[in-house]
Amino acid sequence: MEHLSWVQYVGMTAWLYSSIAVVHYFTLLVLVGTSVLVDLRVLDLAATSRPVAEVSEQIYPWMWGSFWLAIFSGFLMFTTDAGDYLPDTVFRVKMTAILLAVISTILVQRGVPHWGQQPSMPVGAKVLASISLLLWIGSILAGVEIAAISGLG
Amino acid sequence: MQTHAETSLLPVCRHLQTTSWATAIRLSEWMYPFIQLIHFSGLSLWLGTNVAGDLRLLGVGKKAQTAVAVRDELFMWNWIGFGVAVLGGFLLFSARATMYIVNPAFRAKLFMLIPAALVWHIIVQVKTKGWGKSAETALVGKLAGLLELLLWISVVTAAVEIPNY
Repeated sequence: MEHLSWVQYVGMTAWLYSSIAVVHYFTLLVLVGTSVLVDLRVLDLAATSRPVAEVSEQIYPWMWGSFWLAIFSGFLMFTTDAGDYLPDTVFRVKMTAILLAVISTILVQRGVPHWGQQPSMPVGAKVLASISLLLWIGSILAGVEIAAISGLG
Repeated sequence: MQTHAETSLLPVCRHLQTTSWATAIRLSEWMYPFIQLIHFSGLSLWLGTNVAGDLRLLGVGKKAQTAVAVRDELFMWNWIGFGVAVLGGFLLFSARATMYIVNPAFRAKLFMLIPAALVWHIIVQVKTKGWGKSAETALVGKLAGLLELLLWISVVTAAVEIPNY
């Protein structure tokens, strides 16, 4: 993959790689921010005057939009150094954390319509939202550690 | 040749990065990434809430909730995110202050782009009360929201460029 001509072009062209990095950073921040906002609503800590279903419906399109852009831009950066990234433990931890975080967010997204109809937020919902919050923060931590520990990127 | 700003700021930066806590951050293998995490977490909250507000102002998103309602709801977390981001950013800066203060990308980010984006953010936050009352925002409101998005993207761009200088 690293030897493909377009991958080499991305890796060598500074302004292109920087632009992709900007897209990755911006969209991942929006991705985590929006996911965390819904988790905070489930935990009754944010936007509490709005019904949880309304907050979720409002926010999730932006979460998924920025998610796909973050994945796409991340993949482009990955290809430029795929041989070094793939076996790297910290990178694998990050990918696992993201996968788990996305699963937790999907579960929250699916649960919200039911939870919103209960008189008060079920404890299980709050537990799930807390786990989701921690997984997203864990994803950022793992991403940050890639540069710190492995020197990649 | 150093500019006047550089000659007066460098001693401050030197003092800052020789403090015990800044030195600890710089030398520790785990502290620096951890503080990066704090910086990014604050930024996530800040940008997540900003984008929700800006995009609603641009007319996308559920029409049921007006832009002013979105901003009011998220106001607290918006500024908590900002505070956490600034705290994390200050700690990161302190660890290598003399290096950052002469970096052109960092200088653009801190002295030019962040003040511009921040002032604009506050203007939009105040003006949204007028623009965002109805479900459909006036054109000037949409342009204002778009400009805010672009300004914060430029801040991230400057941040990404820091290692390249």
